Amino acid sequence: MSQTLTDLSTALAAAVETAGASVVRVEARRRMPASGIVWSADGLIVTAHHVVEQDDNIGIGLPDGGSATASLVGRDPSTDLALLRIQARGLRPAPWIDAGALKVGHLALALGRPNESIMATLGIVSALSKGWRTPAGGELDTYLQSDVVMYPGFSGGPLVSAAGEVMGVNSSALLRGVSLAIPAATVQQVVETLLTHGRVRRGYLGVSAQVVRLPAGLAQQIDQETGLLLGSVEPGSPAERAGLFMGDTIVTLDGQPVRHLDDLLALLSGERVGASVTVRIVRGGQVTDVPVTIGEQA
Amino acid sequence: MLSELNSDLEEIVTRVRRSLVHVHNGRRGAGSGTIWHADGLIVTNAHVVGHGPIKVELPDGRTFPAQILARDVEQDLAALRLEGIGLADLPTIQLGDSRMLRPGEWVVALGYPWGVEGAATAGIVIGMSARQPETPGNGRDWISLSLHLRPGHSGGPLVDAQGRLVGINTMINGPDVGVAIPTHVAIAFLKGALVGHYR
Repeated sequence: MSQTLTDLSTALAAAVETAGASVVRVEARRRMPASGIVWSADGLIVTAHHVVEQDDNIGIGLPDGGSATASLVGRDPSTDLALLRIQARGLRPAPWIDAGALKVGHLALALGRPNESIMATLGIVSALSKGWRTPAGGELDTYLQSDVVMYPGFSGGPLVSAAGEVMGVNSSALLRGVSLAIPAATVQQVVETLLTHGRVRRGYLGVSAQVVRLPAGLAQQIDQETGLLLGSVEPGSPAERAGLFMGDTIVTLDGQPVRHLDDLLALLSGERVGASVTVRIVRGGQVTDVPVTIGEQA
Repeated sequence: MLSELNSDLEEIVTRVRRSLVHVHNGRRGAGSGTIWHADGLIVTNAHVVGHGPIKVELPDGRTFPAQILARDVEQDLAALRLEGIGLADLPTIQLGDSRMLRPGEWVVALGYPWGVEGAATAGIVIGMSARQPETPGNGRDWISLSLHLRPGHSGGPLVDAQGRLVGINTMINGPDVGVAIPTHVAIAFLKGALVGHYR
């Protein structure tokens, strides 16, 4: 028998050991603990937003068996990321690999530490594409999907390459039933924003909406086939203050077409918070412009 | 390289199948077993054995009645002894050191899932400890596996990348996660259970 399978097995275990030295346990919810990744030697830890249900007294289990108490630096529900800080020195930050270096078919390991010891599952990179907007409106640098099994408590842990580098932060909450990872470039950007501002600002309108087809004449007039029909307007929201009503159909915001929910989410970016923008709506068959001051999402 | 991997896997499966047996317990269901000693000592799960008369089918097609030497429901282990003639040099399986297993290591499980003869499933070790999720908290180690165990795999061998026995397939923990009893736990069971019965 050749040594190939034995070598593969040894190499996989070595990758788990290497990356596992940067994987911590995160105890911040009543259910089973989850996982986190050491971001910096002096105590910053990246994890998934949805596993952090408390802001203080977050228990951290370190790779060497020790424990520490973390506080929340900030969180970004839109990308399902949270940043924690413990008082520590000499932690081992994970080496990251940019999604640009990945290919569909590459081996991928999911690591987690819901208990004391490191745990791992194996799969391959299933899909890669440039840019993806999460259902919560967050923007990911790369859509990174794998077929690794997300064991309970693996959220917040790393998706790891065969060389033990971290490709992204695993999240079972971004899309149900799909193993997605938040790629390195997005994690870097969110961490920097959270360190500076404590949060990632997102614009807020206060409406629920669905896509509707515009009447043929109107569609031709404004060169757009669909818009967003408002199903409800939240009391006290920026939309209500601006005089938007249930039954209005939004067709543009700040001059940009709103054809789908994705368009609206993309336009409600952090830079527009507090800005007064023109929202073009169709009301009773008439096109009307309404000034709206964009709020900030809590 | 991938073709070398394929031939390595093929060789392991061929080798390990020689020590894989089909255990019939008189009920509709059945399970697997692993030849532990050349004179007919078989290790399997307690839940495979049940209470009825047991028949064990060897890979060469011969079927023998078996006697239960020891059965521990809490550990889910059982030791059987085949009864008959011509049971002197059954093919045993090389033992590996399950205490040295690391997460990420390659493993192959064999058995009779849904009765399918000698079926193999491969994956990696997720983790090993006495506190694996969804395992009985009996203080003994369990191995969690990222592979596809199905009913009928129980009692069959789990081997490492060199085809050495590291565990006994025991439980299904969801469609993608299996649980095995490490070899060192099975050895301790045999040592304790077979005093006076066996050597």
